[in-house]
Amino acid sequence: MPYQSPRRPGSNNLVELVRRHHAEGAPTALQVLKDAMERRGEITDDDRRVAAERSRMPEAAVHGVSTFYDDLLAPRGERHVRVCTGTACFAATGGAHVDRLGDGLGLQLGERRADRSVSLAETVCLGFCHSAPAVRDGDTIDAGPGVVDRVLADQARPALEPQWRSVLGEPVLIRPGDWSGLTRALRELTPEALLDDVKAANVRGRGGAGFPAGSKWELARKAAGEQKFIVANGDEGDPGSYIDKYLMERNPALLLEGMALAGYAVGADHGFVLCRSEYPLSKPALEAAVERAHADGLLGVDILGSGFSFDITIVEGAGSYVVGEETALLACLQGLRGTVSARPPYPAQHGVHGLPTVVNNVETLCNIPFVALRGAEAYQALSPGATAGSKLVCFNERFQRPGIHEVRFGTTTRALCEDLGGGLIDGRSIKAVQIGGPLGGILPASQLDTPFDFDELAAVGCMVGHGGIVAFDDETNMRDVARHLLRFGAHESCGKCFPCRIGLRRAHEMFAAEARVDRERLEALLETLELGSLCAHGGGMPAPIRSLLTHFTDELELA
Amino acid sequence: MTRITIDGRDLEVEPGTTVLDAVRALGGSVPTLCFDERQAPFGACRVCLVGADGAPGPIPACTTPCRDGMVIDTHDETARRVATAVVELVLSELPEPPAEHTELAAVARALDVGEPRWPGAQHDGDHDERHPYLAFQHELCISCGRCVRACEEVQGAFALTATGRGFTANVAAGLDAGFLDSACVSCGACADTCPTDAITELSLLTPVHPRPA
Repeated sequence: MPYQSPRRPGSNNLVELVRRHHAEGAPTALQVLKDAMERRGEITDDDRRVAAERSRMPEAAVHGVSTFYDDLLAPRGERHVRVCTGTACFAATGGAHVDRLGDGLGLQLGERRADRSVSLAETVCLGFCHSAPAVRDGDTIDAGPGVVDRVLADQARPALEPQWRSVLGEPVLIRPGDWSGLTRALRELTPEALLDDVKAANVRGRGGAGFPAGSKWELARKAAGEQKFIVANGDEGDPGSYIDKYLMERNPALLLEGMALAGYAVGADHGFVLCRSEYPLSKPALEAAVERAHADGLLGVDILGSGFSFDITIVEGAGSYVVGEETALLACLQGLRGTVSARPPYPAQHGVHGLPTVVNNVETLCNIPFVALRGAEAYQALSPGATAGSKLVCFNERFQRPGIHEVRFGTTTRALCEDLGGGLIDGRSIKAVQIGGPLGGILPASQLDTPFDFDELAAVGCMVGHGGIVAFDDETNMRDVARHLLRFGAHESCGKCFPCRIGLRRAHEMFAAEARVDRERLEALLETLELGSLCAHGGGMPAPIRSLLTHFTDELELA
Repeated sequence: MTRITIDGRDLEVEPGTTVLDAVRALGGSVPTLCFDERQAPFGACRVCLVGADGAPGPIPACTTPCRDGMVIDTHDETARRVATAVVELVLSELPEPPAEHTELAAVARALDVGEPRWPGAQHDGDHDERHPYLAFQHELCISCGRCVRACEEVQGAFALTATGRGFTANVAAGLDAGFLDSACVSCGACADTCPTDAITELSLLTPVHPRPA
C-alpha cells in the first residue's frame, strides 16, 4: 500500500469567504479601508468595524489588512505630501531631498501636524525616475531640480512625462493598441492555435522571472473548472522602473487586447488589472480604455460576433512592493494582506477565488497582440540570436536622455547606456548600473559590454528583471547604496518567511550602524536569505549586495 | 504512483504527498516550527529544509510535493546550515531565550544553535492578560501563523490575524484589543499549537514568566 498522507483542510478559508461575498457584490475589505483613508485621513477601529460589516469579513482579518499596506498606515493631513525614496531619487540626491523636505515641513516621515494641516509620508516609487527626485503633493506629482523648494513654497507643478521611442522600424510595444491582433485571432485562430503560437513564439515573462507565458497559459487551460481568470500584474514596484506605468497610462488598449487574447486562449471570461496607488493616473486611464473598448464592441459579450466574451475589472493596490509577487498579488486583489504563499498550488490551478488564473506582467501581455497578428516567427525575428521579442528599458535622471526605449535583446548594456541613454549629465561618468530593480545585481562600469539578455546578465550576477536601468555616478558612495537597498528590502518584507522577516532587518542593521561590517557574518546571512527565503524578495535582495562585495569591496568598510 | 528515496530508503506515496509526510512515514524526522499536522502546510519558517538531488538549493519539506524519482537527503549539509541560521535569527529577535519546554527550544537544541551571530532589534514587551483563560505575550511571537490557522482552519472562529509586516509582523486578536474583545470562543487551540509560549492557557499551565502585579 502506498503511503497516504493525512487529509488536512485547505488554508483558504478567507479566500472562500472572499469568493462568496464577491459573488454577492460585497466590496473587499481593502477597498473599504482605502476609501476611509481617502475621506478621513486615518483609519480608526470604527472604520475597521464598518469595513468588516461591508466586506462581510472577520474583524481580525480586516485589522490584519489595515496594518499591512503603506497607504493605510501614515496619517494624512489636509495636505498630504509623499516623498519618493526610490533608487533613482536616491541616485539623484543621495537622500538629501528627503531630509530637506522633512526639515522644511517640520515633519518626520509618517508624521502629521497636530492641527492636521500637513502630513509627510514616504513612497517608493512614483515612477518619475526620469526626472528625480519626485514628490507627490496632494494629487500633483512634481519632480526634478527645485522640486523641494517648490513643494515647500506650496507651488508644486505637474512634472513632465518622459519621452518614449523604439529602435525598431515597426514598434511592437509602443505602437498604439488597435485590437488588430484580437480581431485576427477571433476570425482566423482557434484558442488552441493561438496558444500554440504563443508557445512557439517563446514569450518570456517581462516581470522579472522570465517564465514562459505559454506554459502558464497551458497549465491554466488544462486546469479543471468552468471559470478562469486572467490577471495583469501592474504592480510595477521596482524603484527605478516606469515601464508598466506608461503602458497602462499611454497604451492601455494594447494591454487590454493582450488580456482578451489570453482569455481566449485559456478559456477565461474575466480579467483583472492590479495597478499601483503610487501611479494615480493608471486606474483612470485603464478604466477609460475599458469603457471605450465596450463602446467599440471589443470587450463584453460576444466580441465581434465571435461568441467569445471577456470583461476586465481594474483594481488598485495600496502600497506594498512584495505584492508584485504573484501569490501576494492575488491576495491583494482579493482585499487580503499581501503576503506570499508557498507554491504549489500555483495560480494556474488555484488563483483568484481559488479558481484557475493566469498571472502575467503588463509588458508580457502587451507582447501578445503582435504574436496574434504576425505569428511566432515574426516575433522571434525581432531580436535575432537572442531572447524573442523586444524589451522596454528605462533610464534614470542621471542619463542625458532618460526615458523609455524599446530595444532588441542582446544589445550591449553599454550601447543602451551610451547610445540611447547618451551617457550621464553634468560631466559625470557611470560608476555602476543596477538593472531590473532592487533584486538585480549591480553591474560595474567595467562590465558594461555585457549583452542585455537573460543568460548573459545572469552570468555576471545581474538580471533583466523589469528593465529599469539606474545609473550611479562616480560620486556615489557604494556603502550608502547597500544601506539604501537594504532599508528598502527590510521595509518591504511581507513578514511571512523567517529568513526575510528577520534577516533583511539584520542586514540593514549591519550597514546602518557606523561600525565596520563583518564580511563572514554578512555572507552567512546572505546565504540564509538566498537559500532560505520563500520568494524572490528575500532570495533576491542579496544579489546587489553580492555585487558590491565583489566590485566595491573597499568602499563597504568591511572587517 | 510516485516513488521517492529518502536517506537511501525507498517509499511509494500517493500523488500529492509532501516530502515531510514521506519522511515521517519512514519514521524519520525533520525539524519544523510553523508546521502543525492539523493544519495545511504554510512554508514560513524554512526550518524543514532538506537536500534534493538536482535541485538548485535546499527545498522546504512541508510544502514540496513528492515527485517520482526524487532523492531526498534530510542531513544535507547546506540545508542544515541554513535551517540552523534561521533558528539563530529567530532567537535573536526574542528578548529572552525560549522556555525549555517549548517547541522552539527543542528545535534550537536539536539543531545545536549557538550564540546569535546577528544580534539586533528585539520585540518590545506587550501583554494581553485580561482574558480569564488565555494570555498573550506578543514579544515571544515568532509569526509562525499556527495560532491564526488554528483559529481559522480548525476552530473557524477567525478571531486572530497576522498584523504588520516585515520585522514588526505579529499576531492580534480581533481589533488588537485582546482576546476578551475579539470573536475568541476560548477553545485554546491557539495556545495548544503555539511553539513559544507567546499564547498560553492560564488554567492549565503555570505561566513560565511571572506576571506583573
